[in-house]
Amino acid sequence: MEKHVKIGHLYPDLLNLYGDRGNIRCLSKRLTWRNIGAEVKEVHIDENVNFSEYDIVLLGGGSDREQKLVCDRLAAQKKEFKAFVEDGGVLIAICGGYQLLGAYYQIGKDKIQGLELVDMYTKQGEGRLIGNITIQSDIVKMPLTGFENHGGRTYLGDVEPLGKVIHGFGNNDSKEAEGVIYKNVVGTYLHGPLLPKNPGLSDYLLSKALERKYGDANLTPLDDKEELMANEYAQKLS
Amino acid sequence: MGFRRSLAVITARSVNFISRMMGKQGVTMAGKYALKVYPNLLKDLSSQVREKIIVTCGTNGKTTTNNMMAAFIKSEGKKVIINSTGSNMLAGVVSAFVLSASLGGKIDCDYACIEVDEASARRVFPHFKPDYMVLTNLFRDQLDRYGEIDITMNLLSEALDMAPDCKLIINADDVLAASFAKKSGHEFVGFGIDKPCSQFRSSENEIREGRFCLFCGSELKYDFYHFSQLGSYACPNCGFKHPLLKYNATDVSLSKGLKFAVEEKSDSGDTKKRALSSNYRGFYNIYNILASYACGRELKFDLNKIDKILNNFKPENGRMESFKVRDCNILLNLAKNPAGFNQNISSVMEDESEKDLIVVINDNAQDGHDISWLWDVDFERFADANVRNIVVSGLRAYDMQLRFKYSEIESEAVMGVEDAINHMLKKGSKNLYILVNYTALFSTRGLLKGMEKR
Repeated sequence: MEKHVKIGHLYPDLLNLYGDRGNIRCLSKRLTWRNIGAEVKEVHIDENVNFSEYDIVLLGGGSDREQKLVCDRLAAQKKEFKAFVEDGGVLIAICGGYQLLGAYYQIGKDKIQGLELVDMYTKQGEGRLIGNITIQSDIVKMPLTGFENHGGRTYLGDVEPLGKVIHGFGNNDSKEAEGVIYKNVVGTYLHGPLLPKNPGLSDYLLSKALERKYGDANLTPLDDKEELMANEYAQKLS
Repeated sequence: MGFRRSLAVITARSVNFISRMMGKQGVTMAGKYALKVYPNLLKDLSSQVREKIIVTCGTNGKTTTNNMMAAFIKSEGKKVIINSTGSNMLAGVVSAFVLSASLGGKIDCDYACIEVDEASARRVFPHFKPDYMVLTNLFRDQLDRYGEIDITMNLLSEALDMAPDCKLIINADDVLAASFAKKSGHEFVGFGIDKPCSQFRSSENEIREGRFCLFCGSELKYDFYHFSQLGSYACPNCGFKHPLLKYNATDVSLSKGLKFAVEEKSDSGDTKKRALSSNYRGFYNIYNILASYACGRELKFDLNKIDKILNNFKPENGRMESFKVRDCNILLNLAKNPAGFNQNISSVMEDESEKDLIVVINDNAQDGHDISWLWDVDFERFADANVRNIVVSGLRAYDMQLRFKYSEIESEAVMGVEDAINHMLKKGSKNLYILVNYTALFSTRGLLKGMEKR
């Protein structure tokens, strides 16, 4: 039987700020280059998300206004989303999408209710944290690089960060931890977009999706020469 | 005050002279120091403009539109002050005025055509209140510098609030420009293209901003898109829709330069039609011509000489500028954000002959350090554009190469731009396109000018 992975891109009309389509493109190319079927479905704001369809779900970044629209929409599906995550479904959440994973996102007096998928919360701080960023994660050997641009500061509860900050800000002003990893959920402020320059992380996420669906992944290695050059160059910037 | 004004003029001229001697563009420095010498300088000089002050704002097309508009007004025998090089923050605007002033601090002009950066308008408008603001479009651009478009629009409306009598001339096909105009409460007229153009091919996969009504939050319905979010739209919920076009382009032809007719609605309701032809290329330039035309007509000019201007136009500033190096034809074009880049790709594709391509991407402060926007550009279309060789260059050449890799298009990275051009001169098809982002433009243009002479 030929393997096949289905990716759900949630609300790209609203959450598409930082080249998020690059992440989708990266995942699907890295599947097809290995002769694994890849299917992408863009989920529209007036559709319900049928989580059981998907092996991977991506939630990207948007403006505060757009984030709020998304949150209102997803509130009705909180339970199903939680079940997907607890069952080991792969969820990639970036920037604004990452902030939605927690209990809430406090902007001044406004409190946007989060999806409560991960033990964390976010509060808007003084000024924005903007710049190139490099972190070291336990799940991939090569440092992860990207660009961060966020006003919210995220604080983790009883969960592990995606990595340690080598250079840049990360989750908040303490410059220590970046992102979150919980079951097969990866949340992060890194865009750039995240996945093309960090092929190790892309393959980690694809493996998790394949393992959940087929019991094993057995990803054949790809020639990542260009990915590594771009990654090394970006590391020098931060 | 006369003394300080004169001192400011002398300062500006000296700074400009010295920085030119040192081989730098002195324009913004001159304005910066002159304003320090005499903080009231811009207010003082701009108040000497005898007729009207027109500012041009918008993400793409500011420089082209502003220069064309100034040429139109000059053809009516008027004297015009203009910041023609595109220095469009406060210091650049000051320079345009102060460098055309006499030593006594007098300027002799009827009109001022000034392009202003959207985020800088609120720093410029305390010095003068423009009579007209032309708004070309609003696209995403350099998110790390400007933030989301929501923020840009807020900054622009903060500026407009300072000029309550300013009339807007807007691209009505852009839902964001139209929403902005409506929200502002200012009087406005719209220009646009009310039917789809069969000759023009744009990308299906473009980012379209403002998909949801800014007045009620419902999803907008579109009859068609020209490109990006430019098209004909209506909100099914609150009734907000594409405003009536006072200046409408019809009968568009893209072969051998742009040709179209402008239908102009008069206040009494009748329509006059006038054919225009130009040697401009690129569908998007219809909007720039329309904007300039609309402005000229709003100023009550007959514009009888504009055919000559449009047909003798020679592109400069690296906007579709052509060069000939030995036997190779080279077209240089600025592409600094997804909307601009996608339009550039459409223009390259209008040339069906075999060609080569160099893409130069920098990430300096003026470009924006964040280059994630490369993934919002539909580079996939180059697979189908009769391109023989692609070379990527600039500081972020590797990122660009990676972008092409994920479009399954082969490219070669050559770090120096001169080396990249030489490489193409040797092995290319003699038909070369060079697409560059902002900070790469000046140096690449200089290189090409030099190579042309050799």
